Amino acid sequence: MKYLSGKTAIVGAYESPRRDAPRVHPFALQMECILGALDDAGLALTDVDGLCAASGDWAEGGGTMDVIELAEYIGIQPTYVNSTDVGGCSYILQAGQAAAAIAAGLAEVVVISYAACPRWWPLSTPSFDPFVFPAGPGQYEIPYAPTLISTYGLFARRHMDLYGTTPEQLAQVAVTFRGHAAANPQARLRKPITVDDVLASPMIASPLHRLDCCVVTDGGGALVMTSRERARDLKRRPVYLAGYGAAVARTQNSQIPDDLTTPAALSGPRAFAMAGMTPADIDVAQIYDAFTITPMLALEDLGFCGRGESGPFVEAGTLAADGGSLPTNTDGGGLSSNHPGKRGIFTLIESVRQLRGDAPGIQVPDAKVALAHGLGGTFCSAATAILAV
Amino acid sequence: MTAMTTTAMTVLPIPDETSAPFWEAAREGRFLIQRCPETGRYQWYPRAHSIHAPHATPEWVEASGRGELLSYSVVHRSNTRGDPYTCALVRLEEGVTVFSRIEGIAEGSLRAGLPLAVAFHRLDETISLPIFRPPSIAGGSDA
Repeated sequence: MKYLSGKTAIVGAYESPRRDAPRVHPFALQMECILGALDDAGLALTDVDGLCAASGDWAEGGGTMDVIELAEYIGIQPTYVNSTDVGGCSYILQAGQAAAAIAAGLAEVVVISYAACPRWWPLSTPSFDPFVFPAGPGQYEIPYAPTLISTYGLFARRHMDLYGTTPEQLAQVAVTFRGHAAANPQARLRKPITVDDVLASPMIASPLHRLDCCVVTDGGGALVMTSRERARDLKRRPVYLAGYGAAVARTQNSQIPDDLTTPAALSGPRAFAMAGMTPADIDVAQIYDAFTITPMLALEDLGFCGRGESGPFVEAGTLAADGGSLPTNTDGGGLSSNHPGKRGIFTLIESVRQLRGDAPGIQVPDAKVALAHGLGGTFCSAATAILAV
Repeated sequence: MTAMTTTAMTVLPIPDETSAPFWEAAREGRFLIQRCPETGRYQWYPRAHSIHAPHATPEWVEASGRGELLSYSVVHRSNTRGDPYTCALVRLEEGVTVFSRIEGIAEGSLRAGLPLAVAFHRLDETISLPIFRPPSIAGGSDA
């Protein structure tokens, strides 16, 4: 994939400032985001010939033909579409595939868009969701009523048993990102918290407390990608896709590997290899944080620390923009800023803002290389992008 | 067995051609897993093919029903009535890992490595759902 490195760029980015969008259909919110990203790029809807969306999940407004439904709603007939849904990191995977499509000539201007409105969405989870479907592989698990959080709890508990990770170390992740959110006027939760606050919050699914869990907000965002050549003529500084990798692993809990390796151990090295970089080259990182354990496992699989070492790594303040060597989730992340359900697109948007120097909150000075990493489901999938200016 | 521990288990599995022998055995209080006829290796969850030799059809074998606790999470807040309840990964003696529920152990006593044995909850006339308990009380099965 090395030939793809730097061939395409993100030329427009937009995150809706909304955190509550009562009675707003997610497609209407997507339109706000798409027009926002196109305005940012200096492009028009008529320039768009590629559309990436994964909008058929709960609270996303679409169904099994989501990309058609969305194209119809916004009023375009793209020649390249991609609705691959691998959960929260879908938009990072789609960015990599859009780059390939652009390089191959399938499309010139691709919009990647996402919105969800879980705070008011009136319908229940569709029966075809793999986490509620008691047929096939799920017949051996769904009857026990696992929750999304209890599955993350299984990972966190085993990490504690295998590697000596402590609840305090998990809590430090939430504390650090809340510190970043305090500077972001768009963030849902901005009041600083302590490790003790996290440990004193109600237990949701052990060992995860309420403050180990992300916020639930409405929200959305969009990106515009094009070729390196076209990017040069547009109004914003191009942010090049230097590296990309994705991988899928499992949906069933029984298939969780003993040592907790996640598909990030595949997506990360692929992205670094394509970029010709190593973790030491990353100036700023946005790593999906649905729960405090989520970025910890990613840090290990991506090679920022060794297997089992993420507890001491985060406890040392490494992720803090103020003094840490790997400023991470500078917008406050899913734990404090926003989390409508599939937060991957925001890891790309905040990466772009950091590299362009227009972040809404904390700005890492002179950042040249950013990593955006996401996962889907319960470490079921992973996608990693390395962006550079 | 009281109904208390089964209140959250209201979603019934949907058996199919492949899984029918598993659920038939569960009704009789036996826990089946699959073994590859070519490699002799076990697999879980059950499939129509062997993941170790994809053209081979797995054979059913009765597991010992004994294992140990690998990891767990006690669900305190869920949309399902009946919490708290304990979701767990159980490593069977045969080496495969299954996802199930743990019963009969106080939350404070849960720890990795605890010995466990299978028991069955009869949910209706066709489905008896396996769960795991300490071996000393596993005989309380209502299958």
